[in-house]
Amino acid sequence: MPRYAELHCLSNFTFLRGASHPHELVERADALGYTALALTDECSVAGVVRAHMAARNRRLKLIVGAEFRLSCGLKLAALAIDRGGYGRLCRLITRARRAADKGQYTLTRADLEAAPPEGCFILWLPGPRIEAAEARWLAERFPGKLRIAVELLRDGEDGARLARLAGLGAQLGVGLLASGDVHMHVRARRRLQDALTAIRLNMPVAEVGGQLYPNGERYLREPARLARLYPRELLEAAAEIADGCHFSLDELRYEYPREIVPPGETPAGYLRRLTCEGAARRWPGGIPQTESTAIEHELALISELGYEPYFLTVYDVVAFARSRGILCQGRGSAANSRVCYCLGVTSVDPQRGAALLFERFISRERNEPPDIDIDFEHERREEVLQYVYNKYGRERAALAATVIMYRPRSALRDLGKVFGLTPEESGRLASVMQWWDGSTTIPERVRAAGFAIDAALLGRLLPLAAELTAFPGFPRHLSQHVGGFVIAQGLLEELVPIENAAMPERTVVQWDKDDLNDLGLLKVDLLALGMLTALKRAFALVNDFRGTHYGLGELPAEDPRVYDMICRADTIGVFQIESRAQMAMLPRLKPRNYYDLVIEVAIVRPGPIQGDMVHPYLRRRCGLEPVEYPGEEVRAVLHRTLGVPLFQEQVMQIAIVAAGFTPGEADALRRAMGAWKRTGGLDAFRARLLTGMHDKGYPDEFAERIYRQMEGFGDYGFPEAHALSFALLVYDSAWLKCFEPAAFTCALLNSQPMGFYAPAQLVRDARAHGVEVRPVDACVSLWDSTLERHADGAPALRLGLHLVKSLSLAGALRLIEARTRRAFDSVADLATRAGLDRGDLEALAAAGAFAALSGNRHLAFWEVAGSERPLALAAAEPASVAEGRPMLAAPTEGQQIVADYASLGLTLGRHPLALLRARLRAAALLSAGELHAAESGTAVRTAGIVLMRQRPATASGVTFLTLEDESGQVNVIVWERVGRAQRRALIESRLLEVHGELQSQEGVTHLIARRLIDRTALLGQLTTRSRDFH
Amino acid sequence: MALLPIPAGTQPDEAQSPPAAPARRAVPLAVPVVAGASGVVAAELWAGVHLSGLAPADALLRLARRAERFTPRVSLEPPDGLLLEVRGSLHLFAGVTGLRRAVTEECRRLGLTAVLAFAPTPLAALALARAGRAHAVLEMSALVGQLAPLPLATLRWPGKICERLARCGVRTVGAALRLPRAGFARRFGTAQLAVLDALTGRSRDLRSAFRARVRFRRRRELTCELENHQVILATLAPLFAALAAFLTERQCGVVELECLLDHRHAPATRCVLRLAAPMADARRLAELLGERLERLPLPEPVRGCELRSAALVPQRPDCLHLWQPGEHGGGLSSEASGLIESLRARLGEDAIHGLAQLEGHRPEKAWGKTAPPAAAGYRAAPRRRTRSPPVMRRPLWLLPMPRSLRVRDGKPRRRGPLRLIGEPERIETGWWDGEEIARDYYTAADIHGVLLWIFREREAPHHWYLHGVFG
Repeated sequence: MPRYAELHCLSNFTFLRGASHPHELVERADALGYTALALTDECSVAGVVRAHMAARNRRLKLIVGAEFRLSCGLKLAALAIDRGGYGRLCRLITRARRAADKGQYTLTRADLEAAPPEGCFILWLPGPRIEAAEARWLAERFPGKLRIAVELLRDGEDGARLARLAGLGAQLGVGLLASGDVHMHVRARRRLQDALTAIRLNMPVAEVGGQLYPNGERYLREPARLARLYPRELLEAAAEIADGCHFSLDELRYEYPREIVPPGETPAGYLRRLTCEGAARRWPGGIPQTESTAIEHELALISELGYEPYFLTVYDVVAFARSRGILCQGRGSAANSRVCYCLGVTSVDPQRGAALLFERFISRERNEPPDIDIDFEHERREEVLQYVYNKYGRERAALAATVIMYRPRSALRDLGKVFGLTPEESGRLASVMQWWDGSTTIPERVRAAGFAIDAALLGRLLPLAAELTAFPGFPRHLSQHVGGFVIAQGLLEELVPIENAAMPERTVVQWDKDDLNDLGLLKVDLLALGMLTALKRAFALVNDFRGTHYGLGELPAEDPRVYDMICRADTIGVFQIESRAQMAMLPRLKPRNYYDLVIEVAIVRPGPIQGDMVHPYLRRRCGLEPVEYPGEEVRAVLHRTLGVPLFQEQVMQIAIVAAGFTPGEADALRRAMGAWKRTGGLDAFRARLLTGMHDKGYPDEFAERIYRQMEGFGDYGFPEAHALSFALLVYDSAWLKCFEPAAFTCALLNSQPMGFYAPAQLVRDARAHGVEVRPVDACVSLWDSTLERHADGAPALRLGLHLVKSLSLAGALRLIEARTRRAFDSVADLATRAGLDRGDLEALAAAGAFAALSGNRHLAFWEVAGSERPLALAAAEPASVAEGRPMLAAPTEGQQIVADYASLGLTLGRHPLALLRARLRAAALLSAGELHAAESGTAVRTAGIVLMRQRPATASGVTFLTLEDESGQVNVIVWERVGRAQRRALIESRLLEVHGELQSQEGVTHLIARRLIDRTALLGQLTTRSRDFH
Repeated sequence: MALLPIPAGTQPDEAQSPPAAPARRAVPLAVPVVAGASGVVAAELWAGVHLSGLAPADALLRLARRAERFTPRVSLEPPDGLLLEVRGSLHLFAGVTGLRRAVTEECRRLGLTAVLAFAPTPLAALALARAGRAHAVLEMSALVGQLAPLPLATLRWPGKICERLARCGVRTVGAALRLPRAGFARRFGTAQLAVLDALTGRSRDLRSAFRARVRFRRRRELTCELENHQVILATLAPLFAALAAFLTERQCGVVELECLLDHRHAPATRCVLRLAAPMADARRLAELLGERLERLPLPEPVRGCELRSAALVPQRPDCLHLWQPGEHGGGLSSEASGLIESLRARLGEDAIHGLAQLEGHRPEKAWGKTAPPAAAGYRAAPRRRTRSPPVMRRPLWLLPMPRSLRVRDGKPRRRGPLRLIGEPERIETGWWDGEEIARDYYTAADIHGVLLWIFREREAPHHWYLHGVFG
């Protein structure tokens, strides 16, 4: 049998062409005994890391390459011979990708001449019509490196083709080799490949016709088969070329950027200096002995692992943010170190809460790269991103990619099109199969949904959908990561190609964060967080009003009144613990210190909930259950959480100490946890975990729970390292809500959209806490909401113009400017001097902002309508000339409320339900206040405006509703059965009547719904909007 | 007294409704008739008809045609309104009540639900009807009072204007009328002010009158019974001549022409000619009808004939091409499309089709029927880029169904052993419609040297088939 290497092979990272995963291709090629496989995705190396990881422990050699189709039609593949060749290949891809829109590329012969991929073998891939001129052109440019790829695909003309190419090769002195234009690892993927072609061309497969491949020969063919098709020397030639390529991705070495260290200093020395300076700032009264020892210890460990440049890179970004007054906070494994505290990356005082060991987050044994995510004020993160781009240049910094995978919904939608279904039919099919996991067959379910679809068609469609959604997820396109930056010392484009993202001025590398991790390339996550924006504003408002100097982490620590408020679940607006699930937990968990907040943040998550860890923890906390440890090894891991594993880190450490995982295995486990929903790769660890723990004498039931918890972490893994940083934002926002509710609400309003609640609830809550809220007024309000001083010195909240729907910022600024020169005496005066157009004037009138100038809204609108004049007449005829005062009826209270909601989304008048109360009472409906006073277990009826609908994945079909009326909120639980039977009322109601049973325990009241009735009609024209979460 | 506030649903004051005793049964009488205190009768009285239910698109036109019998002054207010000036007709139809009954009856006959209101101005009558108030306001002085409570929407102003008025709290006609005129005009436009003025009779509302649309319809009774198609066609000739004159006068053509042939007992024979483009040439029309008639079996001899056109279509006069057809890109000639139309008339719609090569790798699906080129302006059917299917290797003559071949020693045979020539072409495709094929095609020569196109199935048991013969 001749040796053979496949040198022209596409994976599914040539989106919508390749029909096999890189690892499938590698495994199959290895099994067939190929000596090597070149992955030559079209103008891309996005799949090579996965292929590289799959080939790592195999005999098969992986060659990195790429296929290109030039604008003139010439098709070629380039294979990297060595590191230099790889770099030039990446540059060529970058050049082609950057010259086109996202997802496309453009390459011309001129490009190829300007940036020739030296250090690469070039394969000429002749088309169906063999153009000798192409070969001649290539042979001149790439002497010695060019080969002619002979691809015999049984179209009936193989013999003629071989003869013609052989003749051409002999004429030009260019060698021939065999290759297969591989699109799939086995021929069984032919249907999928046809379907992908149809998706790519956006037409039903039955209409694609000649653009489909006529047969399924483009797979990894058995060498025996190839030997019958090709002359032996062509197969050998392919293997020889493969032998000549000796580049491996393992050669890639990442270097940190050097400019983070001032000239003349070493990274270690510079980090030490910065840390010491920071320590002096943090502990102005002298560094405590324990801390300085700990800092020394950390510096030594960082130095040993060579992580100084990473910390310095992070420091550089943080220092920039601080210089611009952008609030930021680091989180993640390395962020909770004292070094980061001194560098200002985090503001969590290490002495606060439990004293933490640095090794818990970063260790010699575990081969984890340090991980720091930095959150910035969400409105100003872009400045930070641009800083990074500018500092390092686009050739050295880029965002990581995110590979968008097919989900059941998108797979069914695309395949529906392939089979000629209408978009509506595809959509219905997708909704029927919404939670389909790809494994079960469900024609019955489809029929049960009253969906008449051809069974044969479904029988063809579903297997394809299963292939698209199965492990490890079929890639669809590249997108940008939310904020993961890769920064390199050298040219990044010689490390990995860079392409354009959808957003202008954004560039992404072709690898995602797992790929970068696999190759040891480090990235820094620069993320946006709305709460930081709000906190920044709140500090500024408070400091301005009170003359204080508060900042993040600088508020009076551990104030019991703050914890009292938290225990009452009085937390609307507070970071993280404002959701209804969190609010239901607070009275039970009763946080009394910083570490309790850390636990609170992490406990209401799918991980602990699915692992059934919440109730044991609560019982132990209340002393209802003894604190015990399932084994001695885990005592150290679990003592902080009373013997119950709550954090992701604890679960991993248990895997190490109790199931005997090696640190490397634990790292693989961590990654599998993060992605198992997508990839299903967690099963592999299950048996290992269960037997490991069984062997060490742990109860099977405990091991099962740990495993379920791992699955839960996959949905939303929440590590202690992140919770520790978040808890600070929880405390600071709670402190502000407790002592400065006006400033806090003001800041939240100015930072919208963010958080869980709409302005209406925030304002209502503030007023309930005694804050005076003043209406939007064109004569007083600024763009943002502001604080005004009440007669008794207390702050009052003045709503800003930003709340006014469809008012332009430019118009508002002109208005404010005109006002500061001289107060307005009428709407006409305002319109003229501020130069507002009708849209802006009407927006202000609708908001009731002209109350001081014109009276009620009707009069305001009359004046607005009259103050717009044809330009020519503007000077000649003053607006108010001899115009009678109109006879306009004043708006009713109901109309006022409707108008308030329509324009501002909130009202300072009565709650709309107050107007309906008499009718509701007549219908025997209780208000929220009356409901909370009722006894648990009674059957009650109530009605309220639907604020929120939530259907958490962990709650198995249960929908949680929050209703609101003038007296408060009611939490409603709708079991799946009830919700399904009364789906319309559940989904469409804005005003909902609920009959059900009251359940209160531990200060938490729920209404278990039995009957839902849509009462939206009672609201008339009132516009309310529910926030729906899934 | 400006108005009589009579809520809908109560009986009107007998003294004020004109005596209309017989009408009571037919017309809902929960309808106030309003006269002013002055007793001055307005110069005009308009009946406004608002079609309230779902009405077919042509309902209004049909109703208008019928309404011409009540008054010569009919005016359309599409899509759902009709106005009749009835002051002069009142005495002919027993007053308002009688007229109401008569119009309602017309609507009922057309299957329409309508609200009918009377008022001295057309807009007012229409607004009342649109608001569902079947009032009869006979005098100017009572008008404003009756209009005041109507929602502004009854005036059908642009939504934006209504919205802006609503924001000022103005939602009824009355509220709008209370506003200062100058201020109103400046804010909401002089057009809207003009509407208000027309509504209240402050200015005259001039409307264009409705004229029914014409179609051609001509009958000819025969003195004898005819059976011969040619003779029948000849009898139709004067009708066609009349049609020609009719069309020329109006510069119109027809796209549909119907010929009815009456018999003694059997129901009339219908023959409908539908044309792709408007045609005004009566001679050509007669020819086409002749083609159609010839194939039409007549149950009995013909005693009378009638020619009817559908709605007329404006006809542009033909212009002659500079180039001959086919010359310098000249289009398919009108003769060609004429031929197609003639063939269709004679052989039926489905008898004619074009041939096209289709994309796809399955040989049996590589060609198909297409529609013949359209009569007006031939354009080449859009062609997609093909991957140059290997047509050359395929025979022109394919068997309707592949025919199974016998096999001996693993070799296919047809009247003797077949010799395979060249290499196979593999085709595997078509899985999406249940007619998947997976075959290796060969060219083979039989013992007489005839070249055949045969294939071997890729699936076990690997049968051989004959699929085509090379010429």
